[in-house]
Amino acid sequence: MPKDTLDRALFALLLLSLAALPVVLAGEDSSAGRRGGDKAMERRMAYQARVELLRRVYAPVETLRDQGRLPEALLKLDQLARQYPQEAHGHILKGEILGRMGSLDQAVASYVQGVRLNADYVDDKSPLSRRSEIEKTAEEGVRAIGADLKLYPENRSLAAALKNVNYLRSRLAGGCE
Amino acid sequence: MPSTRPFRLFLILTLFFLLAGCDRQEKRPTYKIGYMICNSEIETGERFLPLTRYLSDKVGVDFVFVPVDTQEFEKRFKSGEFALTHTNSLLYVILKERYALELVASEKRGQFGTRTAGAIIARAGSGITRLEQIRGKKMAFGPMLAPTGYLAEYDLMLRSGIDPERDLAHYSIPSGSFKHEKVIYGVLHGKYDVAAAPILDLEVMAREGKIAPEEFVVLGQSPIVPYCTFGAARTTDPALVQKVQKALLELTPEATAELDGQRLKVLKAAGIDGFEQLLDKDYDPIRDMARRVKMPPYQEY
Repeated sequence: MPKDTLDRALFALLLLSLAALPVVLAGEDSSAGRRGGDKAMERRMAYQARVELLRRVYAPVETLRDQGRLPEALLKLDQLARQYPQEAHGHILKGEILGRMGSLDQAVASYVQGVRLNADYVDDKSPLSRRSEIEKTAEEGVRAIGADLKLYPENRSLAAALKNVNYLRSRLAGGCE
Repeated sequence: MPSTRPFRLFLILTLFFLLAGCDRQEKRPTYKIGYMICNSEIETGERFLPLTRYLSDKVGVDFVFVPVDTQEFEKRFKSGEFALTHTNSLLYVILKERYALELVASEKRGQFGTRTAGAIIARAGSGITRLEQIRGKKMAFGPMLAPTGYLAEYDLMLRSGIDPERDLAHYSIPSGSFKHEKVIYGVLHGKYDVAAAPILDLEVMAREGKIAPEEFVVLGQSPIVPYCTFGAARTTDPALVQKVQKALLELTPEATAELDGQRLKVLKAAGIDGFEQLLDKDYDPIRDMARRVKMPPYQEY
């Protein structure tokens, strides 16, 4: 028990400190949470900015594609590929256009290049997702290339093309690189 | 000085084996590869001499590079001059149908890999934006046996209800070498209203900065068809054909060959991306086009 004024003052200070501790700790927690939240927000903003930039850069190709001017879309894409050779979006668009033009093996090869660079294209939740188009091409590949390979099992090009198809199927099924 | 019998025998045998070895090296079998001249004889040599040397090194025989004019190819092949051929896909079909040429490997180049397409183009801003509008216009085609510079576009017009013989003001084929480039430049510079342009040439010219995709419009495009093709004469040893095929399919961008003291990258010199093993049925779209256009090997008189 406090015996004099100093003891009483010290005891009061201790009680005050103990009472203030939860408030201080809660404050620190919320500041750390805010910092984490800021980072997540920054990541989301960067991703959205990237998606927007890709849309803008590849808009001329998508316009030509939507107008059915597929050869011109490919030529424009080739021009962009020289500027951005490692950009997955270009490979994915190329796969889509080549598929529409009937070049199945090349479409599959382009999708493989794109998915290897960025798996978001097979992720349902990504705004970049082209999962359904890739799935359709892979299914067609199994059917057409698989049938030819049964007839010509020694054909090395068909075997390589089917390997590409199987890579896409594995990524679509959630497999890793 | 030793003059014993065994020593003399040793000398004679050594000399015999040395000479026999030299003899074997000098007498490697020789085979001719007939290369259809693409744009010019010089360009064809620059592209395919390193590849010919690479094949000789890989297969262990001496291949001889023979540039051949497209119009003379069939006659010279028929005479048995070539063990192997490198031609466009229409010439492959002609030689396959008439002389049972065997498919060895198909060239990979450009966006469609082993295939490409033919297109009909007009200059951007010329007012011609649709295929129907080419009636009454001046048109240029590539060489007559070019699958994607003549056959594909002629077929595309017929299938679209346009008869090139009646519905155009007139059409012509430029003379001399580099015909495909000439027709494309001809359209861009206003010499012709429209032209038959191989998509591959548009791709290559755009990549080299000679043209820009915005400068022209594609009015129509043919289905994609195989492009340049290696074939083997029926009489060529199957083991040799198999070795050539393997060497072509295994070609990588790093492969080199020595020519006139220079070591060259084979694929880079040839301007191609590699080779693939297509099936003969992949050439059926060419056959269908040739039938519709009544061109060899299905021409009617």
